Amino acid sequence: MSDANRKDYVWHNPLAVWGTATGNEKADSIEVPDPRDVWDENRAFKVPTYKVGRLKHYIIWPTHGDRLWNRMRWWPTRRNLLHIKGQYNRKTLAAEKKIIDRRPIYWALCLLIIALGPLFFPADMMNTLMTAGAIFGVFAAINVCWTLIIGTASIFSLATYAVVGTAGFISSWVSIKYGIPWYFLPFIGSGVGLIFGAAIAIPALRLDGFYYALLTLGLNELCRVFFTTSNEFGSASGGLYGASTFVNDTWEPITQSMVTYYSSFALLIGALFLFRLIHGKRLGRILRMAPEKREAFAAACGVDYKRARITIFVVTSIALGFIGGFYSAQYRGIAFSIFGFDTVLLGLAMLAIGGIGKAEGAILGTLVVVFLDKVLLELGPIRHFMIGALMLGVVLFLNNGYFGIKQQFNAWRDKKRGEWRSSRSEKGGEALPEEATEIEDKDDLYFRRFDKLQRDYLKGLVTPQIIEEHRKQPLGQHSEALERVLLYFRRAKMEDKYALHRAGAQGPYKIIAFSGVRGVSPRLVDDREYATLDEGYHGVFMRRVHDLMET
Amino acid sequence: MDITFVLTNAIIVACIYGLIAIAVSITWSSLGLINLAYGFIFSFAGYGAWMMAEYVTENPALVAATGIAVGALGGVIVCLTVFIPLHDKPNFTTRGMIATLAISLIGSQAFLMYFGPRPKALPEIFGFWKVDFLGITLTSDKIGIVVCSIAMLAVVVFWMRGSRRGLEIRAMMMNPHAAAIVGIGIRSTGVYVMAMTGAMAGLAAILLSQTYYISPFSGLTPLIKGVSIALCGGLGSVQGAVIAAILLGLVEALTNQFLGGQYVLMTQFLVIIMVLIVRPRGISGLLDKAREQ
Repeated sequence: MSDANRKDYVWHNPLAVWGTATGNEKADSIEVPDPRDVWDENRAFKVPTYKVGRLKHYIIWPTHGDRLWNRMRWWPTRRNLLHIKGQYNRKTLAAEKKIIDRRPIYWALCLLIIALGPLFFPADMMNTLMTAGAIFGVFAAINVCWTLIIGTASIFSLATYAVVGTAGFISSWVSIKYGIPWYFLPFIGSGVGLIFGAAIAIPALRLDGFYYALLTLGLNELCRVFFTTSNEFGSASGGLYGASTFVNDTWEPITQSMVTYYSSFALLIGALFLFRLIHGKRLGRILRMAPEKREAFAAACGVDYKRARITIFVVTSIALGFIGGFYSAQYRGIAFSIFGFDTVLLGLAMLAIGGIGKAEGAILGTLVVVFLDKVLLELGPIRHFMIGALMLGVVLFLNNGYFGIKQQFNAWRDKKRGEWRSSRSEKGGEALPEEATEIEDKDDLYFRRFDKLQRDYLKGLVTPQIIEEHRKQPLGQHSEALERVLLYFRRAKMEDKYALHRAGAQGPYKIIAFSGVRGVSPRLVDDREYATLDEGYHGVFMRRVHDLMET
Repeated sequence: MDITFVLTNAIIVACIYGLIAIAVSITWSSLGLINLAYGFIFSFAGYGAWMMAEYVTENPALVAATGIAVGALGGVIVCLTVFIPLHDKPNFTTRGMIATLAISLIGSQAFLMYFGPRPKALPEIFGFWKVDFLGITLTSDKIGIVVCSIAMLAVVVFWMRGSRRGLEIRAMMMNPHAAAIVGIGIRSTGVYVMAMTGAMAGLAAILLSQTYYISPFSGLTPLIKGVSIALCGGLGSVQGAVIAAILLGLVEALTNQFLGGQYVLMTQFLVIIMVLIVRPRGISGLLDKAREQ
């Protein structure tokens, strides 16, 4: 309230007419404004306001308290199917169940969609989609393994497709040359993967991060040149074909593509299980303890991160070799394009689009890239252009691919909220919005708000007139303005409330403050002495006025 | 084939791939960016020079200058699209590398769509002449390649030593944060570095196209060889790259001589892996002074 709104007037003590007045007979004072004005003024926001608090993330299911522990488990272990928390509703006290981690549901749904996909493919696209689906399964399996290497083991290897290709070529070659049946090929591939993985794991022990990435990029090129130029591996025909296969030529074409589709799908499921077994169990947990640049700390805690990384690398190489052998058993052989630089690029695009380090990221990225590359065939060379543009866009704008969007968005939103709030922080003394959502007793929030408004109102009433009025007569009837201020002061909490201490029988008086705690004696506020009780009252009043104006 | 022929070939190969290796090396050590888009810059410069030769003039100096200028332009494009938006973001190194790979994917597809898959040949820049030097016959293109790449390297090294910009780049190499604190603009330095290294890749493209053709994917082999040399010599070290270029050129020439062409990459990689196992940061890289970002 500005000074212009104040109206001075002379207050007459109503009791003076009867001669029973204990206070001033009359005093200069000010008109008291309506307290509701301050309330209305403060409640009106001058800036746009936004809803505060968290959205309801969790679906809450009703349950009976007895059945809270009655959960579905993976037979024969005690593991739960879902991470469920039991709780009691704070208002109704009803027992509730809350699914903390809903990812298994999403996984099951998405895998179900892939499994039932062929039923919903349009008939004119059936062939393309089945082929693309089979390729998606194989590539998704490779990328899930690659995620284990890049994400879990933090070894930035670009030689994944080289391992798959080498295993594929050698198993095809063995099958053609010695007539090995198809069911041995994945295992031959695994052996090749083991040898290859162990061989390229040796430099990984010594080199770090990007040196290794560049080296493996070169290794990939080395494999390409070696296999395309060697005569044994069919340098003329664009690949090595003729291996034994489980897809029978005499079957109907649709049966053949169904078998390929579902065998690839089974391969993907196998890769996901491998991911779960490594990433979600001991090795993965060890390595989550030792993220990049904190290896020394982890090592000091007794984590042998190098051993864990190499173990993962070798195990994953075996799996990649298995996939290579499976590939040649499924497609009767393998093409040189597996070693191509474009294949590595598309693979990295798949990982980058979904988000490196997450199995779901690898699968989503593979889905997107395979769809662009194998389904939209009629677009021509612009497909790869689109994939490149998508990859560039994702890398430029997203911190960790599609599945990092939520986290990145939340961080950005929190930052923006902080900025907006600081630009409109005019409501001092009240609880901040986030604080308010965490405070259990909402009465406390209302009290703080009311108290702040009241202080704002009373600050406008403190004028030289009422101070002078109080100095003349601290006790007795006062003008309304002074009376309102005094009422507020008297209602203060015991903690730090001022009082007068009489030093001798007739004075002088000193100001003390109560501790607010029973048994703890009051403290002396300062050494100033007041000769009479009225002077002491006025001293206390001035102190409180001072405190009020400070807040 | 005699040993002198082997040696001259080794030197020529070392010169061309050494240029790209030094470009990769300087970019990594000053900007912290693993630029795998040099393959794109290489083809970009080659096509630029080819268009100059095809549509404007076949003057060798102008064609070469166009190639270098277009290479520098390609470097600036990569800088503007990758380095400047990403350099202060989390996971810069990984994302930068993937972004440069994306650029090379987009670039090679764009070349494929615009110029078609047929390779293009550049005119002979150095003419046709021969010199007998101590009993060795040197053709014009060999001498030209060696002289040009050494000259380019000398210019780059003197510029880095003597100029204000070079001082800024060297400061960035030593400690990027401290350089930023004393007022060296990271972004502007990034543009200089990428223009310079792009020009080196452009020159490499011109020189290599004296022997090979220009095609949308022709930058891949030089990139991989350049990266391998940079890796072997130690990222961030010019003299290491020179040593590694000579070493690997020698290995390539010897393998060609005694084992056959298809084993070149194998022997080279065996040598690189052995070097890296002994010295994980390359021949003249320092163990504990790796750039951390």
